[in-house]
Amino acid sequence: MRKIFASLCVMTLLAFAGSASGEGIIRIGHTVSLTGGASMWGQSEARALDMLVKKINDAGGVLGRQIEFVRYDNRNDGVESVNVARRLVTDGVVAVIGPAQSGNAIASAPVFERAQIPMVVTTATNPYVTIDQRTDAVRPFAFRPCFIDPFQGTVAARFAITDLEARKGAVLYDVGSDYGQWLARYFEEAFVAKGGEIVAREAFRTEELDYRAQLGKIKELAPDVIFIPTSQKEAAMAAKQARDLGIEAVLLGTDNWGSPDLIELGGSAIDGGYFVNLTDLADPDIQEFVEEYKAAFGEEPVLPNPVMAQDALLMIVDALTRAGSEDGEALAEALANISDLKVTSGVLTVDPADHNPLDKPAVIQQVDVPNATFKFVKKYVSVED
Amino acid sequence: MFLQTLITGLSIGGIYSLMAVGYSLVFSVLNFSNFAHGAVIMLGAYVGLALATRFSLGLGLVLAGSVAGAGIIAVINERLAYSSLRRRKAPSLYLMISAMGCSVFLENMVYATIGSRFYAFPEFFGRQVVNLWGSSLSLLDLSAFLFSILAIWALHLFIGRTKTGIAIRAGVSDMTMCSLMGVDLDRLISVVFLLAGGFAGIAGVFLGIKYLVYPTMGWVTNKAYIAAVIGGLGSLPGALAGGLILGVVETFVSTYVSSVMRDVFSFSLLIAFLVMRPDGLFGRSGEEKV
Repeated sequence: MRKIFASLCVMTLLAFAGSASGEGIIRIGHTVSLTGGASMWGQSEARALDMLVKKINDAGGVLGRQIEFVRYDNRNDGVESVNVARRLVTDGVVAVIGPAQSGNAIASAPVFERAQIPMVVTTATNPYVTIDQRTDAVRPFAFRPCFIDPFQGTVAARFAITDLEARKGAVLYDVGSDYGQWLARYFEEAFVAKGGEIVAREAFRTEELDYRAQLGKIKELAPDVIFIPTSQKEAAMAAKQARDLGIEAVLLGTDNWGSPDLIELGGSAIDGGYFVNLTDLADPDIQEFVEEYKAAFGEEPVLPNPVMAQDALLMIVDALTRAGSEDGEALAEALANISDLKVTSGVLTVDPADHNPLDKPAVIQQVDVPNATFKFVKKYVSVED
Repeated sequence: MFLQTLITGLSIGGIYSLMAVGYSLVFSVLNFSNFAHGAVIMLGAYVGLALATRFSLGLGLVLAGSVAGAGIIAVINERLAYSSLRRRKAPSLYLMISAMGCSVFLENMVYATIGSRFYAFPEFFGRQVVNLWGSSLSLLDLSAFLFSILAIWALHLFIGRTKTGIAIRAGVSDMTMCSLMGVDLDRLISVVFLLAGGFAGIAGVFLGIKYLVYPTMGWVTNKAYIAAVIGGLGSLPGALAGGLILGVVETFVSTYVSSVMRDVFSFSLLIAFLVMRPDGLFGRSGEEKV
C-alpha cells in the first residue's frame, strides 16, 4: 500500500513538473541513441536537428522565444528509454522528439502520455507507436512523420511479387524485436494476399550471430526471395551465411537496412539485395538538406533519421505556432491537425484518426557494393498504385 | 538436410572449442572461471582487424599478430587483476568476480575509445563454397575448423612434450609442491595466460571474419563456457569434444525442433551436466587435468 501511495506521489509530481518550463526558452526533449547499435543514425539525427534549430532560432525562434534541446542518450535500449523519458518529464520539456525505434517508442509512450507531453517519434514505424494495443484507441500524445510498417511490409511484398516475380517467399526475423516480428507478419499477409506462398518462417534471438541452422532449413525449401526485416548488422551476417550455404534467393529488407555500413559489413554477399526505405539520397525533395548537411559536416547524412527528425521538429514548431502556447493538450490538438505542412521530406498532413501521416511515400533501393551505394529503384506513393 | 546440419554444427562447434580451450587452460591451473576471456577474444579481434585494414596484411600475419596481441593482453590482465589476489591466497570466487569486472571494464573501454560501431574483416576467402556430398560449406568454415583442430592438437603436444608443458601439468596437480621444487610460479602462470590469450586471438579473428567485430562480441563465449563444462573444465580433449557436441546439438535443435528453443536446450544441457556429471565428459576431479 505504501509503495502504491509513493508511486502515486511521484507520478503526480512528474505530471506537475511537466508543465513547468524555463523563462524565455522553449525546451524540447530529444531521446536518441547516441551510443549502442543505432548510434550511427542517432549521431546524424542529433546533428541535423542542431543544424535546423540554429536556423529557426536565428530567424527569431518560435512564439518569440528560442528553442533549446534537452538531449539524452537512450542507448537503443527499452529500459534506458523509459529512464530517459522520465528524466525529460522532470526536466519540463514541452514536447519530445524520438525515440527512433519502435520498441523504445512503445515503451516511452505511456510515460509521456501520463505527463501530457506530446512525443513525435522519428522513424518508429510500428503501428502501435500511435495506437494503444490494448484499447485500440489512438494515443493522444504520440505522433510521427514516417510511414508505418503495414505499409512498408505491403510495399515489400508487392515489389517481390510484381517486380521480382517471386512466388515462394521465406522470412528470417528477430523474435526479440517488435519491429521485426510485426514486419514479418505484414509481409507474409500481403505476400499471400497477392498470390505468393510463404514456405519458411524462421526466427532467431536478439544478439544471436549464427543463422545457418535456420538458413539451412530455408535452403531446402528453395524460396525465390528471403525477407529479412532486421537492422544492417543482422542483415549483413544473414547475407554472408546464406551465400556460404549456397542460397541464391534474392534478399529483401526494410528501412533498418539503410545504413551506409551495410555495404562494408555485408560485402559481396549483400550485393544486389533490395530494401524499402523512407527516403533516398537521390530524392529531389531533400537535395537542399543533403547539400547543407554535407557543407556543415563534410559527410553525407545517415538516412533516414536526420530527415525524419527534422520533420518531427518542424511539426512541433508548426504546432507551437498554431496553438500559441506550450500547453501539452493544446499542442497535441495542433499536432493532430497538421495539414499540408512543408517539411524536409516533402509535404505532410497528419491523419487525426491515427496520428500517422497521410500518403507518405516509400522508396525501394538496391544495394550496389562495387560502387558502394544504394541505387534508387522505384518509389511507391501508396500500395494501390 | 541431415548432412548439411551436421556439417554446419561441426563448423560452429569448432569455434566453440577454440574458445573453450582458453577457459579450460586457466581453470586447470588457477581453478577459477576466467570470465574476462570473452573480452580478450574481442580485443584479439580488434587487433586482427587493425592489422587487416590499416596494414592490409594477409590472413597468416593477421592471425599471428592477433595471437601475440591477445596473448600479451591476457598476461597483462592476469598481472593487474589476478596476481595480487592469487598471492594473498584469495578464494577462487574473488578471482571470478575480478574477472567479471575486467570483462565489463574492457568492453566499456572499447566503447569509450573505439566506439560502438560494427566492423567487418576484408573478405580473405571471397565467397567460395565447397560442396561435400550435396551439402555446402564455405571455404572459410572449412579452414577455420581445420585450423582450430590443428591448434588444439599443437597445444596438446606442447603440454605433453615440452619442459614448460610438464611444469604446467605439475602446477595443475599441486601448485605448492611445484613451487617448492623450484618452478617459478609467476612465470608459469604467465605462460598459461599467454597460451589462453593466443587461443583467444585465433578465436577472435575467426569470429570477426565469420560474423562482425563490435564491443560485445565476446558474449558468445558463454556458449564456449558451456562447452568447457560439458567436456570437463580443465580438460583439453574435453574442451574440443564439448565444443563440437554443443555445436552439433544446437544446430540439430534449431533445425528439427525450433530455432527459438536452441538456447533453452544449451543451458538445460549445462544444468544437467552440472547436476549429474559436474566433472564433464573428460574431467577427472582432483587428478591430472589439461
